[in-house]
Amino acid sequence: MAFLEVSGAEVRIGDKQILRGADLAVDAGQLVAVVGPNGAGKSTLARAAAGLQKLSGGSVRWDGVDVGAIRARRLALIRAYIPQRPRVPEGVVVREAVLIGRSPHLRPLERLGAHDRDAAEQAMERAGVLAFADRPLTTLSGGELQRVQIAIGLAQEAPVLMADEPTSALDLGATSAMARLLRGLADDGLAVVLVVHDLALAAAVADEVVVLSDGRSVATGPPHEVLHDQQLRDVWHVDAELEADGRGRTALHVRWLDAG
Amino acid sequence: MDAGAARTEVRRIIVVVGALVALAAAVCCSLAFGSVTVPVSEVATSLFGWLTGDHARGIDREIILQLRLPRTVTALAVGASLGVAGAMLQGSLGNPLASPDVVGVTGGAAFGAMLVILLSPGHVALLPVSALVFGLVAALLVIALSWTGVHRGGVGRLILSGIAIGAIFTAATSMLMALHPSRAPSAVMWLAGSLQTEGWPTIRNVAPYLVAGLILAFTLMRPLNRLALGDEVAASLGTSPRVVRVLAIIAAAILASGSAALAGLLGFLGIVIPHAVRLLAGTSNNTYVVPVSALSGAALLTAGDVVARTVKAPLELPVGPMMVAIGVPLFLWLLRKAV
Repeated sequence: MAFLEVSGAEVRIGDKQILRGADLAVDAGQLVAVVGPNGAGKSTLARAAAGLQKLSGGSVRWDGVDVGAIRARRLALIRAYIPQRPRVPEGVVVREAVLIGRSPHLRPLERLGAHDRDAAEQAMERAGVLAFADRPLTTLSGGELQRVQIAIGLAQEAPVLMADEPTSALDLGATSAMARLLRGLADDGLAVVLVVHDLALAAAVADEVVVLSDGRSVATGPPHEVLHDQQLRDVWHVDAELEADGRGRTALHVRWLDAG
Repeated sequence: MDAGAARTEVRRIIVVVGALVALAAAVCCSLAFGSVTVPVSEVATSLFGWLTGDHARGIDREIILQLRLPRTVTALAVGASLGVAGAMLQGSLGNPLASPDVVGVTGGAAFGAMLVILLSPGHVALLPVSALVFGLVAALLVIALSWTGVHRGGVGRLILSGIAIGAIFTAATSMLMALHPSRAPSAVMWLAGSLQTEGWPTIRNVAPYLVAGLILAFTLMRPLNRLALGDEVAASLGTSPRVVRVLAIIAAAILASGSAALAGLLGFLGIVIPHAVRLLAGTSNNTYVVPVSALSGAALLTAGDVVARTVKAPLELPVGPMMVAIGVPLFLWLLRKAV
């Protein structure tokens, strides 16, 4: 059994059925990318797996334990979750924000200790944000902000890191830096779940890809096996092919103008 | 720590030291000045005698212990409470305009006070209790109303519910005033805010609420910091944003209703003080903003009260408008520097 195992997840929000049976599994040292078209339920699957969204069916198990039986603070020690659109408050510097990532380790009135500060420094170093640790969040670029979010997640010292479209607003250079960082974290032994739109990026960094379509996971496996032409046509309705050399170099060839 | 971080740290320390010095000066002036000026040495002797249980009497001592000390304590408690209430609401609703008015507390407390002043002026001793109770009732109604639907407890629902409940109480207050025009002047005086206190008994009755509100607020400082990064981040860190938000509103409601019970409506302090602290110190960290807002609120209200009762002595001006007269230019100057 994988460390995180989601099976047959169903989520209903109001009258809308968002997930209709989605599966996801991830283990230490593995990077799993969740891909799919807009509205397929990728973010909802990540939130449900992270214990932030109630299920209406199916199950989410962390190390064999049902997510509903795990208290929120305990869950925060198991997985870090980086949302798609985090708020950027005024008057908060990077180091303060990263130290907030230590809160699951502190009892309600306990003060930050030397170990917490060390963990935050290490997280900032690993995420490459130490150089601007004393700058206010509001002065950072999109790429820098996303790396700060990863640093907040790393400060939690959880064995699983889940990131919801961390590259969606980034330029090519910042996306590539984020890709190297996430792959590096998986190589360091973290389990990483990455919700992502960019199929070329997913194919370059992921060990496994979960394809979601209309709330269901329709395929799971290594990128080159799962993201084949027919899959792209069935799920994304495009005529495209993915090229990968297996060493992190990928390209998505799309027939943009002559669909079908 | 680089030079920028060291500068920020120094700035934060300067703001705390400045607030403490202002507080000490305001307390000394508040005890010494009024329609009769008492020398500071006599103030010190009276306070020392009071603390050590020396029951010697004297006119100066009576003025200080029976009139000015309770009034100063009221100013300190109300100023600190409103500063903290504002910080709680702005932090929990992520909205710079948040103040006790936004969650209906001010409207409720005003209605509670008007009930006594206009309908039952013979029972004026009940005024603080009525203001406190209706302020809290308004806040609970707002929370109950906002706790419905898929987005229950969300910022939008809380603010809209607050506006609705606040409007109902404000309309009821206007109606009461229209029906009892002969008693409206005393109602207006209360609405303008005043630190003319009934003395120690009222303070003793309201103090437990203010202490409870302050304790709750101080336990919420770090959870509010998590909320500043967004509900999703807070939830992923094991903190329920809805619960933190509701607790912060309850803390603010207790503090604002208690303040209204003691001194009428002084809502302006709640909006301005936390902003001023953030702008001056250059940080939004609630473990700093909340306690320093308490210090600064206490200092500003005490100073404002000294001005209100000395500029036209022996006539006493209402402290509410005086606070606005002192606070607005200060705040505009800060804003101009910040933007």
